[in-house]
Amino acid sequence: MATRSRGTTALLAVAAGGVWLLVVNALGASPGAIWRHGPIFVLGALAGVSFLAGGIVAWREHPRNQVGPLMAVLGVAWIPQQVLFFPGQQLWALALCGLWAGMACHLFLAFPTGRLDLVSYKVVTGLAYVLALVLPTAKALMRFPMPVPLRNFTDALDASSWQLTVLMSGMVLALKVKRWRQASMAQRRAVAPVTGASMVATVAFAVDRLAELFGPNPLQVPITLVMLVSFMAVPMAYLVGLMRSRMDHGRVADLVVRLSRRERRGTLRDELAATLRDPGLVVGYWTAEQDRYVDADGRPVDLNPGPSRVVTRVDQGEAPLAVLVHDVALLEQPLLVEAACAAAALALENERLTADLRARLRQLAASRRRMLQWGEAERRRFERDLHDGVQQRLLSVAMTLGLAEAGTDPGRAAPLIGEAKTAVLAALDDLRAVSHGIHPPVLTERGLSGAVKELAAVAPMAVTCDLALDEPLPQAVESAAYYIVNEALANVTKHAAASKAWVRLALVGRRLLVEVGDDGVGGADPALGSGLAGLADRAEANGGKLTIDSPPGKGTVLKVVLPCA
Amino acid sequence: MRVAICEDSTLFREGLARLLTEAGFAVAASVEHADELLAHVAKDPPDVAVLDIRLPPTHTDEGLRAAVTLRERHPQVGVLVLSQYVRVSYAVELLGGRTEGVGYLLKDRVSDLAEFAAAIRRVGSGGSALDPVVVEQLVGRHRQPGDPLRMLTERERAVLRLMAEGRTNMAIAELLVIAERTVEKHCTSIFVKLGLEASPHDHRRVLAVLRYLNA
Repeated sequence: MATRSRGTTALLAVAAGGVWLLVVNALGASPGAIWRHGPIFVLGALAGVSFLAGGIVAWREHPRNQVGPLMAVLGVAWIPQQVLFFPGQQLWALALCGLWAGMACHLFLAFPTGRLDLVSYKVVTGLAYVLALVLPTAKALMRFPMPVPLRNFTDALDASSWQLTVLMSGMVLALKVKRWRQASMAQRRAVAPVTGASMVATVAFAVDRLAELFGPNPLQVPITLVMLVSFMAVPMAYLVGLMRSRMDHGRVADLVVRLSRRERRGTLRDELAATLRDPGLVVGYWTAEQDRYVDADGRPVDLNPGPSRVVTRVDQGEAPLAVLVHDVALLEQPLLVEAACAAAALALENERLTADLRARLRQLAASRRRMLQWGEAERRRFERDLHDGVQQRLLSVAMTLGLAEAGTDPGRAAPLIGEAKTAVLAALDDLRAVSHGIHPPVLTERGLSGAVKELAAVAPMAVTCDLALDEPLPQAVESAAYYIVNEALANVTKHAAASKAWVRLALVGRRLLVEVGDDGVGGADPALGSGLAGLADRAEANGGKLTIDSPPGKGTVLKVVLPCA
Repeated sequence: MRVAICEDSTLFREGLARLLTEAGFAVAASVEHADELLAHVAKDPPDVAVLDIRLPPTHTDEGLRAAVTLRERHPQVGVLVLSQYVRVSYAVELLGGRTEGVGYLLKDRVSDLAEFAAAIRRVGSGGSALDPVVVEQLVGRHRQPGDPLRMLTERERAVLRLMAEGRTNMAIAELLVIAERTVEKHCTSIFVKLGLEASPHDHRRVLAVLRYLNA
């Protein structure tokens, strides 16, 4: 953005325009009364002044870009042609009257970078300058008596003047079209006004030259007027482009104001979408807990959105804050995106916390629902086990003992009692299984370390235990950790084909780290088996998080972090 | 043979005392707390101390810890732990690398008086008695393909289990209804197949088998 005063710029532009008019008037053959020379003179003057003034504005806005100086110089180079609009053509003006066309070619091809980026641009521009000097000079020389060979040459040059001019225009047009076709949407948006105006001007210029071929005709004046207007439009279009980028940045300023006043029209996403002019914008907020980006409602955000959209990360220092999934065109305006994100940083952080919370709630609700369903199913199972097992067996015991009691045959008593005893022992077995399901007795007796040692002791592979727990843990945490190790070791037994495994329990701060690793086949994926999903649920239901590192062929390490507070 | 009982459930404690008296044992003490048992054993060592795992005050593993202490302090006293559940890790902890005069059984086993009495006598005379459930769990660990245990015949595995339970060759022969000589042959074969160095006739063979199973 310009750091210079806009008032000074406007003053400079106006002053330059004034000086330009004075110079033209002073150089003209019949000074004064410039208005009398008709619309062509007026429009021509306006075009020249536009280039000069527009060039000064551009120069001051973007001092390092040569487009500004080029336009300003073009405005100066316009003077000889303008002088020719006066009656009585001066020789110097006649010789220099084409210079502006060469400069126009240079400007059109150098826009918007200010440099002639390609060799073809340089060649065409060079040619244009040569023609712009040679053709009018030849025409001017024709006024003087010349040796025949030279006259023949200048005649031929003058005769082919229109072809050469049209050819040049065609080349410039072709290069501009090619560049346009290669440009991205955003680049096109940025250069459209100037490119459009310059292409129209180039065509108009060629047509104007062609019109001259037919000698004086009623169309000549209107065509020249159109050409002048379209040239005048070029610096105007440049100013429009400038204003447009000003407005883009103005929208960022508006965003800052609205966010600071909390005058939100919608969500932060809507605000950013409006500021960046990208209605399909998606804002993803980082959730450390889930290790991914989620939207404002806590749903995961797709970071592979397809060819027309790209992902830009917004970080706060080193920490990830958010991502914008936006139109690829916005890549051309990184400063705008950056400015908008900087403006919205605080709001983004707020929204991120909210999104994080929503994501957690969503996840928690889902895992709680599944745990409740699981608990419900378990309770039903226990009830059925008790009903079908223990109760039936005890009933049969009562009946058998009743038979023995009422027995008339004393010899039958002993077998009946033996039968009753067997049934009671079976009932004890059933009860053991049920109570183990309700709460593993070993956990009650020995705590988590002892229970994990028992799991290790009955596992079919060698299991090394590293259980650095010196303080008692909350019972819910012990229970969760026990089931996680149990399930994890069961998975190792079933799927890993491991020769050894290890279990590590450690307190890190107020969190219990549960780690179960093996040297098996790896390639475990929570998406593939319900076992791992169940583990993840159990971890989440206890406020924890499950991560699995299981490269194929390199074993599996399952980690769960459970908060103990 | 004199037996001291430590059990917090009055019903089971009194029933057990009655049962043991019936089977010809002398009940030297019948207490509720592990501390009381330790004090009593120190004062008047019995042949066998029978104790539960869950004991007051916390009803977690007081009994198991007391049993380990007893085995350290009084190696001559047999220790038989009874529990509603049996665990491999507890067995390992209880044995502590020494199978002399130790037993670990499910409480259910009291229902077969003759068998239970035999187990107490075994423990009281320096032998061992490991619950079949624990042995089964230990054997169950060796189910991976290529494990030497899978090379044993069905009969050899049965002999191995009974050996691990701490039974003598004579008892194994009786239970499997085979000749004692046959049991000896099976034992030798098992030791060769498993690559165990200790002699199958050695009294330390139980430890060798258990170490193998728990490896």
